[in-house]
Amino acid sequence: MAGSPLSFSFGSFQSRLSFFLLCLLLPVLGGTFYFVNKNNVEYTEETINSYLEIGADVFDFTRMQKAETLKAITNSLTWDFGFRTAYASNDPATIFDAALNVLDRSLDNADMLMIVDLDYKVIIDTEIQGNDTLTGPWLELITKAEASEEGFADAITVIDGAPFQLIALPLYLPRQVAWIVGGFVLDQEFAEQVSETVVSEVSILRLSSASGLQLVASSLEPSRQDKLIDQILVSAEFLGALQTVDFGDEIYTSLVRSLFRSEDSELQVFAVIQRSYDENSENVILFQRLLIELYAVVIVLSLIAVFALSRSITNPLASLAGAVQKIEKGNYDLKVDVKSRDEIGHLAAMVNSMAKGLIEKEKVRDLLGKVVSKQIAEQLLSHPIELGGEEKVVTVLFSDIRGFTTFCEGLAPKQVLEELNRVLSTISNIIESHSGVVDKFQGDAVMALFGAPITGDSDAENAMLATLEIVKALEAVDSRLSACVGINTGLVVAGNLGSDNRLNYSVIGDAVNLSARLEGLTRLYNVPNIVSEASCLAAPNFVYKELDTVCVAGKKQPVVIYELLGERGAVSKQTLDEAERFAEALKAYRAKDWSLAESLFSQLHSSCDNKVLHQVFLARIQDYKSAAPPENWGGVFVFGTK
Amino acid sequence: MIIRYMRFPSFITSSSALRSLQWALKKLVPIGCALAGAMSHAQTLSVTLLDQNANPVEGAVIELLVPDELKGNFQNTTDIVVDQVDKEFVPRVSIVVAGNQVSFPNSDDILHHVYSFAPINTFNIPLYGREEEARFSQEFPISGVVEIGCNIHDWMLAYIYVSETALSSISDSGGLASLLDLPLGNYQLRVWHPRLSESDNNLIVDVEISAEATTNLDLSLELERERKIRRAPSSSKNRYK
Repeated sequence: MAGSPLSFSFGSFQSRLSFFLLCLLLPVLGGTFYFVNKNNVEYTEETINSYLEIGADVFDFTRMQKAETLKAITNSLTWDFGFRTAYASNDPATIFDAALNVLDRSLDNADMLMIVDLDYKVIIDTEIQGNDTLTGPWLELITKAEASEEGFADAITVIDGAPFQLIALPLYLPRQVAWIVGGFVLDQEFAEQVSETVVSEVSILRLSSASGLQLVASSLEPSRQDKLIDQILVSAEFLGALQTVDFGDEIYTSLVRSLFRSEDSELQVFAVIQRSYDENSENVILFQRLLIELYAVVIVLSLIAVFALSRSITNPLASLAGAVQKIEKGNYDLKVDVKSRDEIGHLAAMVNSMAKGLIEKEKVRDLLGKVVSKQIAEQLLSHPIELGGEEKVVTVLFSDIRGFTTFCEGLAPKQVLEELNRVLSTISNIIESHSGVVDKFQGDAVMALFGAPITGDSDAENAMLATLEIVKALEAVDSRLSACVGINTGLVVAGNLGSDNRLNYSVIGDAVNLSARLEGLTRLYNVPNIVSEASCLAAPNFVYKELDTVCVAGKKQPVVIYELLGERGAVSKQTLDEAERFAEALKAYRAKDWSLAESLFSQLHSSCDNKVLHQVFLARIQDYKSAAPPENWGGVFVFGTK
Repeated sequence: MIIRYMRFPSFITSSSALRSLQWALKKLVPIGCALAGAMSHAQTLSVTLLDQNANPVEGAVIELLVPDELKGNFQNTTDIVVDQVDKEFVPRVSIVVAGNQVSFPNSDDILHHVYSFAPINTFNIPLYGREEEARFSQEFPISGVVEIGCNIHDWMLAYIYVSETALSSISDSGGLASLLDLPLGNYQLRVWHPRLSESDNNLIVDVEISAEATTNLDLSLELERERKIRRAPSSSKNRYK
């Protein structure tokens, strides 16, 4: 868990998906299981209930059917002429024997016979109960028969503790002369017969105030009969209601019906119909198990599906992440291998095309870096390309190779180009190592910018350092070669120049032109570099030698020009002395003290290596001696041509 | 005609052929009685029997009980016949004066087995048919009621009322029974009907035969519910007629 208690964070997409699947699946499965099971259990209980109700009805039906059989037999036999003749004999002993004879002939369908006259006096009773006149249930039975259309009635009563099903019929001779009552005992045989029919256990119980609840007959195993007596409830509120009896190894659902109840409730007889609850719920249990198995399969399959699904998402995601990581490290040469056509496939395709795009961009960047300098390439790539530009102070460096034509004499054109490229590479590497930007190559000349496109803290100083290095490097390449460098610092317009389709990042302005002019002047003064005053001021940590004050071609403003000698402290004593003496000579020159100036330049001319420089001034002095410069001369030399 | 009617009331009442004649006679009875009374000074008792629902009671027997010394004056020697037609006794109720014969001819094509378990006259005429006339005459010496049954057909039932004298009659469908040529005086009248709710189905009422030509008596009888024994279904089809 992280953050608020409600937000869970999962270690993996798979566990999140599994969790949500289970969140969805378990309530649905649980809910269906609950309701299906509830219904099934209810249905089972209803089934048992109806089985038991049917069992009780069959019990009654069997009893009534047997009673009908008894009635048929009794009826048929009472019309028997022999029996009636016996009855007409009016001799109870004969009638008794005739009655026993009827019982014999009934094939056990009748267990007792009683003949009662129309005044309810007992004529004979095969059970010999010793009553003279009928009372209680017996009288009730006859009264009921009298009241009926057919003269028939039935009842259950108890004789000597045994429940009897009784029927009563008139005895005609040919008018009715008596009532004949037939009965059969509801015994073990009867219980077993009903039990077989209804496939339920059937028991007959007797409840008397004297001896309590006793079993009369039962289809139950003897070992279970005692448990039945112990557990079954026969009071009025339990009649007709379902109750359970636990036989230890099995539970039975039971239904109790009243068969007989004496007037004083001293004696009652009940029928108990029972059915194994477990047997009936077997299907439910089986169904439950099947359902649980099905659910397990569903959950396992779902988890497998989730696993497969999450793998189908996380695997491509992992390779995408790997790819993106490689891209981050700058390795664009890759292809994410995801073939699916879904969103992830789409994403992979996007990453692939992004990588491709990056490769292209890198190629462009690379090429751009080769065509233009790295910084310009960056500037072009990172800013929207626009025509126009910005005004900024830039130090512009023009470098040319002196002696290259001599150097290339006798070389094939291809070799010339190779050599040129080698030298230009050296120069451009030096410039770039000093944060300079190569603006363009023009033949063997290089134009470089310091402070464009990006303004730095020490643009001019960098330019000075680069100049010193270029000069030194070219001397190292070949003794015939030397560099000539012009440096100027000033306000330029920097930006993309050209047409919409073809642009060039460059700088324009007078400062650029001056820089180029200064480079051109190096040959005249025979110095490796000429630096404008503005650049000197911008890079104060260097030692400069003031060379002259000039008006370059096309410019009216005179410019003081310097030669960069080196870094402060790194210039030799001799060079510094020479520079000092040159400064004195230049002072005399500017003061129009031609003779002093001539003598000083002559001394320098004879003692210094750079004969050309001093010769320039000696020549000018000769000219000014013959034709004096104007009053406002100020030491400025005007160059008429480029 | 009148005398004949009185002597053989059972014949007349039971014979459906004579129904119309009976109806004509009934209309003539008052006139006849008046004529007889004027001629012989003999009296007539006319009893109307209704049950508890005021329906006329048919088939009830009335008998005027006269002292023993007078009984001799009202005897006859008439034998009667209870036929068996279509598995029924015809008539269902008959009167015979004690000492006379009742014969039980069989008009059906099947055999009958007539029996009585009545203590006053127990007899048993096992299976016999149409032509066996010698077998089915039976003397009824003791007065009382004898129920006659057939052992083959449980529903067949006839009542023979064995009267002490000829002063007895059976009520017709209008519940009317009449006795003629009665002596003056106070007597008991016995009314019998098989469903009469009295001991032995007998009701004894006092009656005075006065100088009036006709003594009218209206009696209301308490009858018990009739429990009939069903005919066997096949027997009505007369398959063996």
